[in-house]
Amino acid sequence: MPSEIITLQLGQCGNQIGFEFWKRLCLEHGISPSGVLEDFATESLDRKDVFFYQADDDHYIPRAVLLDLEPRVIHSIMGSAYAKLYNPENVYLSKHGGGAGNNWASGYSQGEKLQEEVFDIIDREADGSDSLEGFVLCHSIAGGTGSGMGSYIMERLSDRYPKKLIQTYSVFPNQDEISDVVVQPYNSMLTLRRLCQAADSVVVLDNTALNRIASDRLHIQNPSFSQINNLVSTIMSVSTTTLRYPSYMNNNLIGITAPLVPTPQLHFLMTGYTPLTNQTNVNQPAVNVRKTTVLDVMRRLLQPKNMMVSTGPDKTNHHCYISILNIIQGEVDPTQVHKSLQRIRERKMAQFIPWGPTSIQVALSRTSPYVQNNHRVSGLMLANHTSICSLFERALAQYDKLRKRGAFLDQFRREDIFKDDLSELDESREVVDCLVQEYEAATGMGYLQFSAKKRAADTKSEDSKSIGPSSG
Amino acid sequence: MNSPDPVRLVLGKLIAETKAPHTPDSILNHFRATDSTRLPDKHLLRLLKDISYKRPNFREIHAEVTRVIERKDPMYALLVFADKYSDDNLKPRKSANSYFTPDMRPPHSQTSRTTSSSGSRGLSDDSSYRIMSTTRSGISTCSGSVSGKDIPTSTPVNLRKTEPNGMQLNGLLEPRQVQRDRVDLSLIKERVLNAVSEGSAPNSQRSLDPSSNKSSSSSSKSNANVQLVHFEAGLPDEYRTHQLWNYCVADSAKGSQLQQQQHPELGGLPLESQQRVILAELIYCLSGVRGNFIVPHLSSDDAEEDMSKYETTFTINVQLDKSLIQLIDEILPLASHFAGIQKIMAANDNHGQVHNALNSALMNVTHDYYMLLTQTELEMQQQELTLQKLVYYLRPTIWVMEEVWATLAQMQLNKYQGAAVLSHLYGRIKALEGDKASQEMIINLTQQAAVPYMRMLQLWIQKGIILDRNLEFLVEDNEVVHHDELPEHYSDDYWEKRYTVRDDRIPSFLEKYADKILRTGKYLNVIRQCGKRVMAIQPMDLQFNPTNEQHVHVINDAYYFAARMLLDVLLTENDLMGHLQSVKRYLLLNQGDFTMQFMDACEDELSKNVDQVLPMTLENLLGLTLRLSSARNDPYKDDLHCELLTYDLVTQMSKIMNQKEEYWQSHDRLDLSGLECFAFTYEVNWPVSLVLNRIAISKYQMLFRQLFYCKHVERQLCKIWKENSMAKKFSPLAAELYRSAFTLRQRMMNAIQNIEYYMMIEIIEPNWHIFIEKMKKVENVDNVLSLHQDFLDSCLKNCMLTESSHLNRAIFKLCKVCLKFCEFIQRSQPFFEDAELKSMVCDSSDDDESDSIDSDTSRSQMESSLDPADTFGESVRRFDLEFTGLLIGFLKQVNDLAKENTSDRFMNLVHRINFNTFYSEQMEKLCMKDVLGAKLKRTNDGD
Repeated sequence: MPSEIITLQLGQCGNQIGFEFWKRLCLEHGISPSGVLEDFATESLDRKDVFFYQADDDHYIPRAVLLDLEPRVIHSIMGSAYAKLYNPENVYLSKHGGGAGNNWASGYSQGEKLQEEVFDIIDREADGSDSLEGFVLCHSIAGGTGSGMGSYIMERLSDRYPKKLIQTYSVFPNQDEISDVVVQPYNSMLTLRRLCQAADSVVVLDNTALNRIASDRLHIQNPSFSQINNLVSTIMSVSTTTLRYPSYMNNNLIGITAPLVPTPQLHFLMTGYTPLTNQTNVNQPAVNVRKTTVLDVMRRLLQPKNMMVSTGPDKTNHHCYISILNIIQGEVDPTQVHKSLQRIRERKMAQFIPWGPTSIQVALSRTSPYVQNNHRVSGLMLANHTSICSLFERALAQYDKLRKRGAFLDQFRREDIFKDDLSELDESREVVDCLVQEYEAATGMGYLQFSAKKRAADTKSEDSKSIGPSSG
Repeated sequence: MNSPDPVRLVLGKLIAETKAPHTPDSILNHFRATDSTRLPDKHLLRLLKDISYKRPNFREIHAEVTRVIERKDPMYALLVFADKYSDDNLKPRKSANSYFTPDMRPPHSQTSRTTSSSGSRGLSDDSSYRIMSTTRSGISTCSGSVSGKDIPTSTPVNLRKTEPNGMQLNGLLEPRQVQRDRVDLSLIKERVLNAVSEGSAPNSQRSLDPSSNKSSSSSSKSNANVQLVHFEAGLPDEYRTHQLWNYCVADSAKGSQLQQQQHPELGGLPLESQQRVILAELIYCLSGVRGNFIVPHLSSDDAEEDMSKYETTFTINVQLDKSLIQLIDEILPLASHFAGIQKIMAANDNHGQVHNALNSALMNVTHDYYMLLTQTELEMQQQELTLQKLVYYLRPTIWVMEEVWATLAQMQLNKYQGAAVLSHLYGRIKALEGDKASQEMIINLTQQAAVPYMRMLQLWIQKGIILDRNLEFLVEDNEVVHHDELPEHYSDDYWEKRYTVRDDRIPSFLEKYADKILRTGKYLNVIRQCGKRVMAIQPMDLQFNPTNEQHVHVINDAYYFAARMLLDVLLTENDLMGHLQSVKRYLLLNQGDFTMQFMDACEDELSKNVDQVLPMTLENLLGLTLRLSSARNDPYKDDLHCELLTYDLVTQMSKIMNQKEEYWQSHDRLDLSGLECFAFTYEVNWPVSLVLNRIAISKYQMLFRQLFYCKHVERQLCKIWKENSMAKKFSPLAAELYRSAFTLRQRMMNAIQNIEYYMMIEIIEPNWHIFIEKMKKVENVDNVLSLHQDFLDSCLKNCMLTESSHLNRAIFKLCKVCLKFCEFIQRSQPFFEDAELKSMVCDSSDDDESDSIDSDTSRSQMESSLDPADTFGESVRRFDLEFTGLLIGFLKQVNDLAKENTSDRFMNLVHRINFNTFYSEQMEKLCMKDVLGAKLKRTNDGD
């Protein structure tokens, strides 16, 4: 089948959201936890083959590769009802099972060591598809396995499959609570560099925003991982809905991504979803059901509080949309789409970049007939917005704070990549800083003539020189 | 009077006995010939001898006949001859008395053209007449025997001719009973004649007593009633007795004789006697026989073309008393009108079913008229009739007859045929509002005249069959080809052209329903062509009744039945909507993944020149794609095929707009790529092809080609997007150089995608929704067709695929620029990849001057190797200028168009592409330039 997509799940977080994602897909396509097509789903006109393939006995197998360095999450998956769904050959658990210790460098080195075995799996999957379109990577950027091993695999993938798209669903750490991972700023910075340079598009899943949404909008005190992951799986499944229920447009990953990413660097996308309901318990009567229309949904999608990225207050109000794709599902009268767009345009509800034409693209998508939605219309926004750089600025600030003190660098130095020096860290910072500059520049007319300055990197290198000896 | 001609009977038997080489007629002819041409008596006797020598009493009879022929007419001798033999041996049923006197022949027989002449004519004439009469209904020969008395002569020829009609020559019991009322009618005629001749010639004997007259008239009346009820149209022609009612005939045959016989001086008679004489004369005259004192002035046939053609004027004897003349003047128009009606009936004989039916209805009127005359005559014989009474009796009839005559005369003058006759009659009904008697008469005539027409109508709306030999029916079947050999483009023509309404053949009372009538039968025919039986619903009784609208209900019922049934056949059994869904899926790219997959598969093949593209390869790839993509569950996927047209979209459009019929004929191949000529086509069978006909598919194809081309451009842009994404690995410093290229690519992508979005989401999809909604309430197939056409036309128009705007050319040019740009980027990609990656390696190493120079030189090398005169940046700038110019021009054009025509949605496209007012400034500039240019030009012109 064409346009197949292979999903790679890395680390604890990656496997958890991946698990939720597959659960959701099975539900939507009427596939039982063991991969058998349910009787009621035999007649549907969806495309299961983008994410699944069929074994000889016709049961569906996800095109998923599960990778982890420690067994906990994978064991829980393999102990669940969905254990039989996955191809056991695609589940790779490092033999020593010690994990990466939340250390990017450890994950990266282990990735390097295990690459042959890992790429055996990936190559087999890639060869098994007719015309592979790309890879989707699920991971977090703060941990060890997802960030470190993920970074290594991303780099290799882009070398090995230069024609294939690499999209990531990257979970950013929650800024509202103090992380138990002290080297998180280092991990984030190092991963961000790979996300900048190896991935074609990154869907940013900001744990800060997800938690806020869960508590503020869904009124869940102390949201659990599975509740958050439920939100994530919704976003992941809806953002792939045009692939699985094809219509006129956006039927392949590149068709979704290319219009959203005007220049190669600016490929960090934020998402928004509305209406949000607490769907963890299906039997529980839904609260908060409201009347939904296309305009209503599109308007809500433009509100920052529905965004799954916590961008922080935009004091100068200069940030703007580079591009927007709205995926609208449900009973939609196509004529309403135009009216809503007109309204948004007239009221100037959204601010757009001045240096190029852009608009809100609306993809009308069918929904799965097997999943009940309380609302008539629902929508997902994939947006490229310059304010996402605040996320990177925050990461930079945290990194700088830590780096200035030269704290916790010992465990990094133990790995090969930092054997000689810590330039990798500085280079990463430089790349991310350039990205921030580029995003900032993209808010203005001058973007076309913009050129990233090395200034920031110079100061850093001085810093590193001054700090380097002290820590060494 | 009804017995067969005994002379021929006898002769025939004798000839059969002797096997002489003669026929009864030939012998009769010999004997009947005039003096100059007749054979000598000897020979005549010889003839008789030849046929009778086998008889035992031959000698005595021969001697007697020889004696007779010496003294008398040979004909007389022949009669004696026949009489002798029949008396002796052959026993004819009647005594010879009844035919003994040749005077008994009806006076009109010599000039009458048809039936009665056969007895006195040669064999050849006779048989030719027979052929004519037997081709009519079976009754004709039978009634011929009534008036002409010639059947029993039974020549072999006659036998053969008549037998197929089931006629028994001697045992005519059954048909004769059928003919009872006809016999009665002729009796009445006879009686009228008798009465008249008695009046004018008092010496002649009264043949019938009053009692028998009464009974026969009453019986004929009841028969007439029965006839009205069981009225059968298309009455046999010999019902027409018009030959009797020609004053000319009377004039030449008997009138002169009568005139010679007596010429009483009327003036000399007392008033009483005058009245009696003139009464008889009047009745004579009313029945169309010429009299002595009331003399008709006959107009010649080629008289002037107005009502007077059918009028007769009479001259009344001047000696008549003035008071009587006045009364007679009052009555005489009746005679004139009656004669006129007869004349018209005669003229319209066999001029189509409607005329025939009308004539037979008029026959009944005539019949009733005779009844009236008979009754008055009866009264006259009882010496109770006065002229005043007669006027009183006849007055209502006079009025009615005048209206009937006027109606018919107008009809005749306007040469109405078929439906026009019905329209005319129907119009007269309305005109006669208030004159109840006449109106009823005309209603009656209309109703009966409409019977065959309504029967045709019933057959059509019930079975869809046209049985219309005289081309009177309002629907015409233009069948050109047989269903089995349907040519390629038959379906589109079929619906429009196969059956058509002939406006000149619509009776006015059906005018409003002509369309429904046409459709009803058309639908039935389509249903039948689908191989289904057209089941008749409840028995249908379609009769025209001018006073109520019963026929309208019947027509409506039939129409709804047929429409419903065909809709069922089309929508339910043949799943029209499923097919349309499939067409939308493939030809309107609704099944996006299939389109993508197909493009993946066919890209290489389609990028060749159209002459090198192998249709078989495409077809194979299509089949493969259909089976591998999500389309594999579509039951109609096999209807989809590839087509390589021989011209691009722009040409196709101009062809369609200019000459709708010719455009699919092949033309010279241009230098086009396969992509520009490619289109899907969708082949369906009857009856779905009624909706998805050639024209509809062409319209779909036009939409398809535009969408497909845009899609192709989008794919190319996506492709270079992916290749360009390599640049994210480049040093941040280098990005600036390429940013102009990337943003240009993005602008192209934005424009192309928005054009696609606009066409698909804002035009096709909403229109489709509207179409589907309307289809739920659809009533008939014509509705389906027009809805579908509206859908397509609206899509075409709003997708800028109409000739009036040249917008699609602009889109095409935009696409071309984008493709050229993609090609350019693809060509330069390897160079700048090399350059940047090398320079990155240099950058990551120590800042070495030579290395950076190296990278600079390699970058410049890359630029120079592309185009010696152009750097990369300049090329991009050139593309930028070209693209922006085209796009702004396009947007402005759309803008202008939207201002002119606010009902269309063109403006949406501008809003879409210019959503964040990025192009506003440039567009305004262009507008300003236009205005300035115009002003400048004006001032220049002014100077």
